[in-house]
Amino acid sequence: MNSQQNEQSRAKIFSAIKAAAPTVTMDVKTIQEEALEILKESEFARPKLLSEDATQALVLRIEAGLVIGTSCEKLSTLADLPHSVKQFFGKHSLPHSLKVQGVEQLEKLNWQGISTDSDIQQDNTVGLCWAEYGVAETGSFVVHSSADMPILLNFLPLYLIAVIPKSKILHYMDDYALIANEIAKKAETPRNMCLISGVSGTTDIEGVLVQGAHGPEILHLIIVEDQ
Amino acid sequence: MQANRPEDFSKNVSKALAQPDLKKIIRRTTDKAETKRAEAVANFPEFENARSQGQKVKDHTIKYMDHYLAEFEKNALAQGTVVHWASTGEEAAKIVLDICRQHKAKKVTRSKSMLGEEIGLTHAFDNSEMERIETDLAEHIIQLAGDPPSHIVWPAMHRSREDVVKLFREFHTDPTYSEEITDLVRSARRDLRTKFLTSDIGISGSNFLLADSGSSCTVTNEGNAELTITPPKVHIVTAGIEKLVPSMAHAVPLLRLLTRSATGAEITQYITFHNGPKRPNDADGPQECHIVLVDNGRTKMLAEGMEEMLRCIRCGACMNHCVVYKHIGGHAYGSVYPGPMGSVLTPHLNSLEVANKQTHACTLNGRCEDVCPVNIPLPKLLRSLRAQSWQKKYEPLTNRFVVQSFAMMAKRPRLFQLLSSCGVIFMKVFSRKGWIKYMPFTSGWTRNRDLIEPESTTFMHQYKKMKKAKSGGA
Repeated sequence: MNSQQNEQSRAKIFSAIKAAAPTVTMDVKTIQEEALEILKESEFARPKLLSEDATQALVLRIEAGLVIGTSCEKLSTLADLPHSVKQFFGKHSLPHSLKVQGVEQLEKLNWQGISTDSDIQQDNTVGLCWAEYGVAETGSFVVHSSADMPILLNFLPLYLIAVIPKSKILHYMDDYALIANEIAKKAETPRNMCLISGVSGTTDIEGVLVQGAHGPEILHLIIVEDQ
Repeated sequence: MQANRPEDFSKNVSKALAQPDLKKIIRRTTDKAETKRAEAVANFPEFENARSQGQKVKDHTIKYMDHYLAEFEKNALAQGTVVHWASTGEEAAKIVLDICRQHKAKKVTRSKSMLGEEIGLTHAFDNSEMERIETDLAEHIIQLAGDPPSHIVWPAMHRSREDVVKLFREFHTDPTYSEEITDLVRSARRDLRTKFLTSDIGISGSNFLLADSGSSCTVTNEGNAELTITPPKVHIVTAGIEKLVPSMAHAVPLLRLLTRSATGAEITQYITFHNGPKRPNDADGPQECHIVLVDNGRTKMLAEGMEEMLRCIRCGACMNHCVVYKHIGGHAYGSVYPGPMGSVLTPHLNSLEVANKQTHACTLNGRCEDVCPVNIPLPKLLRSLRAQSWQKKYEPLTNRFVVQSFAMMAKRPRLFQLLSSCGVIFMKVFSRKGWIKYMPFTSGWTRNRDLIEPESTTFMHQYKKMKKAKSGGA
């Protein structure tokens, strides 16, 4: 389709909307005020959390089995992470091999006895990533695409471990939307912002839930006290 | 399976009712969805507030649709997305195919999008030189079977496990010989893995378009959208113009409503916001991003006072709770969108002349409106379409004759009462043990279900008797 046809279709759509609602104001300030007014209702239109403390609420949600295929643990120091990862390997009878996301926080740790660069395109692998945020309301961790964060790291491995700094755990999705808005104001919006709340699942055959449809079957969240 | 046509609705219904297991198969999924939704709503006491907020978000965006469309376009362009406009479904499908051909694509992966079905994208690819690979498990199943979707959330709900076993054994390169559902899903995982990684173009729909950032948002449980979009060099989004919301903060209330209403889960596993092509140093992602904004009847709905239907967030709750859908399934509607929402949408996407019978396939019991997460008054909209259909004389002559005869009698109380009394006597002749299995002039009803035996006297007779007894008692 050439640009002229594209312009014609665009003009047709806009004129049809105008014709349908000819009296509507186009004062941007009024529209923005009306849009903000709606958001004031969010406080009364979202679910109560399991705890007032965001970290505790997230942990309780996972422990209650409300986040599909997900377990979690808390670490007081990041230096203990390799040990936790070894325990994860043991629990699931896995070889000591994973793909560690290329961020300084994870790369600088002592990974002795663990291969850290497995090929995630193969099935049955383990991925380890550093989350930007956690969200208590949904039991989610959030990743942003970047030079250090291949999005596929979160979607190809059969097992996934995500590390969330405790200070980055938010109460509600609305809190994350505010942060996303701030990032946008600085023109730093990443290509992808993923809220991941459990493992890849499907109920497409006879309504039976199966984990590991295309991506992770097992997800383990590790909440780390900030150093 | 050959796709049904909306104009053949009566025939489609007869065909569906003749399938002995269809009702059982449909109810297995819809009944579960109904129960799980009820539990999710019970666990969310703020649901009514959320519903009201969700409705306001949609109404606000629809009211200022041209403002938000222009804002979305500006911000999407700033992110590096190429924005295309399509007035019709054919235009939209052509735009998508042209982009694929410009990139000399051979393999195209697609994550589930009802809009893609609506604009005929699946057929357009099947008639092209390119290979279309559906990546949502249900869409994968119906692609192998050659079926149209039968539900907007579970498009393969009409297919049993036994059907899937046969299909996977026939088409998968490394099929399972187990009949366990877990093993069947693993078989699909193996089959689709290399296809994800070797695709030339990834096509997705969008659950929400964020005006203030130019982002599109996908919502899945399988994670197939991200796997569809990330490896290929080009990402194409197809989205209806009604998917707009002002910002991510406005999408949040709708996300709370969407999954609870669709499956009863509190949230889907994967919510991803896509903001244009990959940044220069990104580790992965498409180098090009296109978005095709589609009208295809939506502005017509605005013009015809059906804007409430543009609130729809495609959760499928209305069909999960519809007594008609549960009996006949999705294929009978002969449209991409079945059930109550489909009966309102199809006349606008196609034409009322072609799809007027669907507007009558409704008991007006109001359950669809009760469970709609954005308060769409579906029964009111269906009644309005029925009125239009009557005014435009789309009803068959026999129906018009019956309704006009009834109207004539209803205006003459004595004649009405006389004929009602005769009707009761006539019906009694054919009733057996409280039910009428056959009666002249009613085969359209009694072919698939029995009529209940009427009371011994008419309503008016009983009313007068009761009134007399009351006044006598006083």
